[in-house]
Amino acid sequence: MPGVMIVEDDAALRELLRDTLEKRKYTVIAAADGREALAKFRPTVIDLVITDLLMPEEDGLMVIMKIREIKPSTRLIAISGGGMAGPGSYLMMASKLGADAVISKPFLPSELVMKVKELLG
Amino acid sequence: MNTRREMKPADGSRKKPGSDPGADSRLGALAGGIAHDLNTVITTIYGYSEMALESLDGSPEAAENIQRIIGAADRARMLTGQLLDLSRHAAREKVPVRVAAVLADTIDFIRPSVPEGIRIIRRVSAPDAYVNAVPAQLFRVFLNLIMNAIQAMTGQGGTLTVTLGCRENEKALQAGGQCMELHIRFSDTGKGMDEALKREIFKPFVSAGREHGTGLGLTVVADAIREMGGTITVLSEPGAGTVFDIIIPGAFFGTLPEKH
Repeated sequence: MPGVMIVEDDAALRELLRDTLEKRKYTVIAAADGREALAKFRPTVIDLVITDLLMPEEDGLMVIMKIREIKPSTRLIAISGGGMAGPGSYLMMASKLGADAVISKPFLPSELVMKVKELLG
Repeated sequence: MNTRREMKPADGSRKKPGSDPGADSRLGALAGGIAHDLNTVITTIYGYSEMALESLDGSPEAAENIQRIIGAADRARMLTGQLLDLSRHAAREKVPVRVAAVLADTIDFIRPSVPEGIRIIRRVSAPDAYVNAVPAQLFRVFLNLIMNAIQAMTGQGGTLTVTLGCRENEKALQAGGQCMELHIRFSDTGKGMDEALKREIFKPFVSAGREHGTGLGLTVVADAIREMGGTITVLSEPGAGTVFDIIIPGAFFGTLPEKH
């Protein structure tokens, strides 16, 4: 099955997303911030990255830019719950930097699964 | 709670005795930060509720209880929506903004995301210049232009030089006089643009040949500058980089303890 990386600093949400995707038989690698994500990223294993945007260490915008450089064919989903001027602006930046899809928090895991399936064909 | 970037005011507002024109903006930033954290928690509540519903073995009472949890999460979602509305409303307020402070905050914001091989140099000769503007809007203008420059240099590396100064009237500025117009320049050593693209670049859905992106960034920038009564122009040639020049009228000056 395709490999999915989850980058989310909130541990509870990270585990929820891991459970949700593992139940659908995806291979899941999770990271708590951008730095950990880049250290764990394996181009041969990961087909899609789901990343939060605002994280304490390296943030999601950086993840998107670096992953695009390392493996341009990687599918990218940005998730965000707010920010200085609402989620739209951060998600707009993510989209501009190369995210294939953006999802505002809060969302239902089923919405995310649908988007993952759509992007991975 | 983590230290998040959006919690830091990026307005550079001037404080006066008895009034604080940046207070609403800071409150808006705080509201946005709280909404962000709450939205993450609500997503987790939705998620496990949905998972619990899927794994139920026909217990109507348990299903009803889970639906109540989801209903409570829906109400919490409405509240975070109101917080974000507050944040957006505050983000529309025009206040005196110290341009150098917003520029510094924007560069600090994007710096962790800058790929290796790309440098950002900041040269400020008008550190105490203010304009009346919406802080978040100015932040987005700078961010868009910086991100465009980074994209133009990604892969090949290069330097973005951002200068902020007084237009034409440097001597008057140094003597404590009035400088009516601010000049902000973003000059990169990236791929550059041809004539055809340069003519269209501020129009919606036009992007510099990149696979990703909405093509709306520079339209948003141009609209924001126009709202401030300013102008933005572009100079570029293929392979020779790109220069964006912004002129903002109505500048005024103050004395501040901090310098950038």
